[in-house]
Amino acid sequence: MRKRSSFSKAVFIGTIVFLSLPLLVLVLYSFNESKSGSWTGFSLRWYVKLFTDSPQLWRAFGNSVIVALSSALVATMIGTLGAVAVNWYKFRLRKYLRTITFLPMILPEIIIGVSLLVFFSGIGLKLSLFTVFVAHVSFNLPFVFLLVLARLEEFDFSIIEAARDLGASETQTLLKVILPISMPGIISGFLTAVTLSLEDFVITFFVTGPGATTLPLYVYSAIRFGVSPVINALSVVMILGTVALTWSTRNFLKYIAAK
Amino acid sequence: MEYGGAKQKTVKGSDVVIEHVRKSFGDFKALDDVSIGIKKGEFFSLLGPSGCGKTTLLRILAGFESPESGAVLLDGRDVLSLPPDGRHVNTVFQNYALFPHLSVFENVAFSMRLKKAPESEIRAKVADYLQLVELQAHAKKKPSQLSGGQKQRVAIARALINEPSVLLLDEPLSALDAKLRQHMLIELDSIHDKIGITFIYVTHDQQEALSVSDRIAVMNAGEVLQIGTPQEIYEAPATDFVAKFIGETNLYEADVVSVSGETVELSVEGFGIIKVTATEPPPVGSRVSWTIRPEKIRIGLEEPRSSRNGINAVSGVVDEPIYSGFQSKFYVRTPSGQVLKVIKQHADWSDEGPEIAWKDSVWLSFSAEDAYLVEVKR
Amino acid sequence: MKRSPGRAGAAGGAGSPGGLYAAPSLFWLTVFFLAPLAIIVAYSFLTPGPRGGVEWKPTLDAYRAIANPSFARVTLNTIVVAIGATAVTMLIAVPCGYYMARSSRQTLLLMLVMIPFWTNFLIRIYAWIAILGNEGFLNDLLIATGLARQSVRFLYNRGAVMLVLVYTYLPYAILPLYSTIDKFDFSLLEAARDLGASKLGAINKVLLPNIKGGILTAFLFTFIPIFGAYAVPLLVGGTDSYMLGNLIADELTKSRDWPLASAISLVITLVTTMGVLLLLRANGTSVLGGSGDGEKPVPEASSAAAYGAQAIGGSR
Repeated sequence: MRKRSSFSKAVFIGTIVFLSLPLLVLVLYSFNESKSGSWTGFSLRWYVKLFTDSPQLWRAFGNSVIVALSSALVATMIGTLGAVAVNWYKFRLRKYLRTITFLPMILPEIIIGVSLLVFFSGIGLKLSLFTVFVAHVSFNLPFVFLLVLARLEEFDFSIIEAARDLGASETQTLLKVILPISMPGIISGFLTAVTLSLEDFVITFFVTGPGATTLPLYVYSAIRFGVSPVINALSVVMILGTVALTWSTRNFLKYIAAK
Repeated sequence: MEYGGAKQKTVKGSDVVIEHVRKSFGDFKALDDVSIGIKKGEFFSLLGPSGCGKTTLLRILAGFESPESGAVLLDGRDVLSLPPDGRHVNTVFQNYALFPHLSVFENVAFSMRLKKAPESEIRAKVADYLQLVELQAHAKKKPSQLSGGQKQRVAIARALINEPSVLLLDEPLSALDAKLRQHMLIELDSIHDKIGITFIYVTHDQQEALSVSDRIAVMNAGEVLQIGTPQEIYEAPATDFVAKFIGETNLYEADVVSVSGETVELSVEGFGIIKVTATEPPPVGSRVSWTIRPEKIRIGLEEPRSSRNGINAVSGVVDEPIYSGFQSKFYVRTPSGQVLKVIKQHADWSDEGPEIAWKDSVWLSFSAEDAYLVEVKR
Repeated sequence: MKRSPGRAGAAGGAGSPGGLYAAPSLFWLTVFFLAPLAIIVAYSFLTPGPRGGVEWKPTLDAYRAIANPSFARVTLNTIVVAIGATAVTMLIAVPCGYYMARSSRQTLLLMLVMIPFWTNFLIRIYAWIAILGNEGFLNDLLIATGLARQSVRFLYNRGAVMLVLVYTYLPYAILPLYSTIDKFDFSLLEAARDLGASKLGAINKVLLPNIKGGILTAFLFTFIPIFGAYAVPLLVGGTDSYMLGNLIADELTKSRDWPLASAISLVITLVTTMGVLLLLRANGTSVLGGSGDGEKPVPEASSAAAYGAQAIGGSR
């Protein structure tokens, strides 16, 4: 055992170094005075530029936030109801719903992006922030669905029967029992949807239209067409932002679960 | 207080009549022409092994399943067309089914809040019912902070607050450990005495059913085999299945050789002639089964003085004595190889009998009054 | 028995709101997921329009084009990269997951894996460009230390693509493996040793079968996105690492041959779906529920996916 665990320890340490090193380099370079690669001295100028002189970047950020919040909200509402239906009720097309909530998760993003692009142009829908929203709901929905379903599977059907037995109508059962008990799943579904949406590049790349640049798309064009060290500063801010966001949502979820 | 704090037993609740109910799931017949009449205020148990249909029957009474045919009458009114909340029937679920997001208080108050009862009324009534189940001190806790027994009591209070006329209990004690089960059983009994409504109790545990029920229906494979008081069920089982399912027993087949009144003489392979009681004696020559409970058999080293009429005596060798504290069980093999189970209580100082040990030759004796004819095979 | 009549009975009766609750999901995924896929199928059999789009003249041209050796080379390249990167990822992920599950400081180790994982996908790619680029960190270092006289071209080849792919998808493999191994009861290994199994035998016969679900999930969550990779080869790849994803995008936006782009997409879809089905079958599950008792149509598959969703979503 001893030898084996030291082997896995070595692999793990190597992996952590491998995973963290590039990010550390980004942090280091974000404080580099020079515009080119070589280190010339410490400076905060790229941070200043990021916050005061990057209007396009912030417009892209705004778009990202709008799409993330709206698509996560819609996906959460639709996906939660779908999970409730699949877990507790019998209806036609139940199998079909399970299959089409599973399929998007196993298909590469590019397929979803390309097929939606072809679809939008086929029905004559102009590419815009709205088409980005529609695409994001589509790929977020299965995640919300599965996270809520995983939560619901912890409960027996008798909890619904108990509510009915005590005089609750179907609507009251949904509002007073089902939704409250699935809340941890719903919240983590929503937060996952927000993060996946903020993160998405490939699908957005295909379905976006003029003026509907999201932050990942902005980063992409910055990488592609001339890297400004502002991107380094942006990366650091984004890393810190996601870490802070994730850390607080985790604690929030723990708090909810403990309550 | 609604359940009338005084000691006297108030009889409320409803008659429940189940008529020719049939239900199947696919090819599986869950209930096959089941008819049961349950009296107002009775503590009635549906007893049987898992898959016998008892839970399905309970779910039909609750309104969670509909039978293919038959009727369910509450006080003479057919309730099958009514939804679960329209029947004055409430259920205590097997796994409690407490709402995890609500406190004990809010769980109990759930149905009153749905009815939009005034806050003061809710407070008073929930307090009453929490007192009934002795949980006043835990009102603010969440179900996850309660022990199994406490959860069970919340489930009972929550079901009773609606003042149902029938309370359905679906294996309510199965999730508790043995000691707690005994305790909760006594408590259930006392709640039943206080409230006085009809309790219909589903269980697979014959001990539970025997100790609390006014009457029991024993079920197997979708059919009701026998309905009767615990004594009737235990002492005069109607079928071989009932005899074997309830308690421990000795069950044999035999041929009827003579009949006089309610006493029947049987010829049993390996025992010789045995006298048993039969309420409806079959004709001479019938093939029958008969039973004798192990604790009704006296075991001794001497041949019993059979001065009394109707005492059966059999000799044998102790095959295996099993000591279990307050009693001992013996497996006694007759010369021809039949095995009888005998249970001997360990008595006080006045019991002067010698110790019985492995390989001892013993005499077994039992009264014809304690041995019952069970089934007529042909 | 207790559960299924409950589900079927009360829940399936007249006036059951199941259909109502399911309707929005059914509608959305049918219209915005399935219909687009169906259109792709249809387009792949049509004639390209002059400036993108299609003309409704059925033809098999797109499939003939796929059979062309230059496409076959891209396909082969995609397969080589996907298998290679997945294999490397799995080889690293299994010991990592094992070490994390056996550690007493799991939360800390989890954080160490998660932080790079939470970082935006493009930023992670960009970080490697910043390191390996001609004016990047590594070249800086090499020139400063005199190990190189002019910048070395690390990027824009297959090696760089594989490296960045492994970097990107490694956490996707580690997390499900970690959570499965964490649930494994290690006293079983001792039991196996006690019963006479060798150390390796115990791992092969007891540990691996019990963490099969995690390995499967890790594999699917790595192989599928790598097989359909687009951004990584686009940003750090060169001509030798052109993958099917890039081909689709180019046909769609540059050559404007939509039927061909559709046909290639369809091939990727079929390969991934077949791969998933085969893997699940090998894992001993019939994917679409077989006899159809209506309970859980995609049991293993969906639990693997739910698992992944939780590993990824839940830990975010």
